[in-house]
Amino acid sequence: MQADFHYYATYCAAFLAGYSHEESLDIAYSAQFVDLCSRTLLAKIKGPSAAATTQLQLELMDARTDPVGLQDITRIWSAFHFLPKDLHAVKEKCIRRYLDKYRLICGPNGDLVVKTVELAKGKPLQSVGIAMHVLADTWAHANFAGTPSLVINNTNYVFYELLPEGDGFIEKPIKFRHKTSEPDDLENSIYTNSLYQSSENSIMNLGHGRAGHLPDYSFVRYKYLPAWNEYKELVKDNPHDYWNAFAQMIRAMRYIRGDYPTFEKDTYDTETVAPWEERIRGIIKKRQILASDDWKAFGEELSGQTIKDHVIDEYFDEYTKCAKEERDDTFLGRFIRGAIAHKGMVIEAIYESGNKIAGIAK
Amino acid sequence: MTVFQRVRGILIGLCMLVFAALLITDPGEEAYMFIIAVLSLGFAAAGIKNIIFYFTMARHMVGGKMILIQGVIILDFALFTGSLADVPRIYILLYLIGIHAFSGAVEILRAMEAKRTVEGPWKLKLSHGVINFALALACLVFIRHSNTALLIYSVGLIYSAVIRILSSFRRTTFVMIQ
Repeated sequence: MQADFHYYATYCAAFLAGYSHEESLDIAYSAQFVDLCSRTLLAKIKGPSAAATTQLQLELMDARTDPVGLQDITRIWSAFHFLPKDLHAVKEKCIRRYLDKYRLICGPNGDLVVKTVELAKGKPLQSVGIAMHVLADTWAHANFAGTPSLVINNTNYVFYELLPEGDGFIEKPIKFRHKTSEPDDLENSIYTNSLYQSSENSIMNLGHGRAGHLPDYSFVRYKYLPAWNEYKELVKDNPHDYWNAFAQMIRAMRYIRGDYPTFEKDTYDTETVAPWEERIRGIIKKRQILASDDWKAFGEELSGQTIKDHVIDEYFDEYTKCAKEERDDTFLGRFIRGAIAHKGMVIEAIYESGNKIAGIAK
Repeated sequence: MTVFQRVRGILIGLCMLVFAALLITDPGEEAYMFIIAVLSLGFAAAGIKNIIFYFTMARHMVGGKMILIQGVIILDFALFTGSLADVPRIYILLYLIGIHAFSGAVEILRAMEAKRTVEGPWKLKLSHGVINFALALACLVFIRHSNTALLIYSVGLIYSAVIRILSSFRRTTFVMIQ
C-alpha cells in the first residue's frame, strides 16, 4: 500500500470510527510514518535504531543475508509490512527450514492481527496508526512473506490482469520490466518488478518485489502462480481486499475507542461505511497509480476540515530539541515506543512458535 | 547481489587470474591438470549445491524442477571435465575455448535482454560477451599454433577475471517492496 491508503484512507477510517479531525490526522501520520521510519532517519534524529519500521533501498542494497542479517530484515518486514497469517501452518513433507519461511506468509485475519490491534488499545494514537498500517498491509501484501525467499516469494510468467468486461473479466497478460525510471504503464499492463535471482536469500526475493507494485494498487485484479502454492493459481482481488481493509480498520479503531468489548477476526464495520459505500468503492476501483487526491477530497468532505499533506519532518524538531528524558512524551517518542512494542510482540510470537528466523526480542 | 555472491565472484576472478598466469608462465602438463581439476571441482560443487537446494527447498516451489535439472547438468559437466585428464592438451584447450565461447554467447544474450527490460550497465555486459566470443574465435583460428592460441586464451581469461571482480563491487540495481 502507498500513501494514498496509509495516510488519506486511514484518516477517513479514523474519522468514521469516531476520532476528531486532529486525532485522525495523528493516526494517519503515524500509519504513513511506518513506511518512512528507517535507520537512516532514526540516525538523523538520534532515535534508537531498534525502532526502525522499514529499510530504505540503499540500506537493503548493503544488507547482509547471513543468518543474523536475515533476522534483522525479517524482524522489520514481517512485523510491519507482512504480518504472518498462521505461525503454525502445516505443509506435508517439508524440512524445518522451508516450513519456517512458509509460516511467515502474510495474510489477513490471522491471530497476530488481533494481537496487534489489542496491543494498541489504551496506547497513544501513534500506536493506533502503527496497528492500522500493519492491518491494512495484511490485505494488500497477502501471499508474500516478509523475509527474502525464492521458494516463497518468486513468481513466473503466469501473470494475468483481470479486466472487467460485461458481467465477467477478460485476462490480459502482464509484462514485467525492471526499470524504476519508467512509471508503470497501466494502459498496456506493463509493470516494474525486481530481477529474478536464483539465490534463495537474495534481497530481490523479499516480499512482493517479484510481483512489482501490483499489490499496492487498489484497482487491480490479477491471477498468478505463487511459488509456494503447489501449482495452484491464485486470484488477488484488490478492490475486494481494500474494501475489507477499510471496513476492518474502522472496526478495529472502534474497538480501541471502546465501542466494542472485543476485536475478533473477520469482523468489519460495514454499517458505518454503508452511506459512503459507492463513493469508497469508486475510489478503490479507479484505475490510477496514486489515489491520494480522491481519498483526500473524500476525507475533507467527511470532516469539513482541510487535510494537510504528510510532511516527513513535521515532528523532528519537537523530538530533537527537547531534553532526552522528555523525548518519550513527544510525538515521535510515542511512535518509537509503539514501534518497539509492536516489533517485540511479533518477534516473540514468531520465536514462541518454534521459528528462529526472526531471532529473539531484546 | 548477496555478500556470498560478491565474495564468490571475487574468488572466481582471482582463480581465473591465477590460471591465466600459470598458462602464460608455465604452460606444461601440470598447469592443464590443475585447471581441469579446479574447474571440475567448481562445477561439482555448484551442481551438488543446486541438487541439495532442490531436495530441501525448491521441490515445493513452482518451477523448482529447473533448479534440479540445472544441478544435474552442471554435475554432468563436472564429471566430463574431470574425465579430460587423460586426453592430449590440444583437446583440453579446445574444451576450454568452447566454455569461453559459450559464456560469451550467454553474456551477449543476457545483455540484449537487459537492454530491453533492465536498468543498468548492459553495455559492459555486451562488450564482455562480444570480446569473450571474439577471443574464443581467435583461439580457434590459431589452434595449430598452440602457444599463440594459449596466449590469446589467457588474455581472454584475464579480461573476464577483471570484469568479474569489478562486477562484484557493483551495487545491486534496485528492489521494491513497500
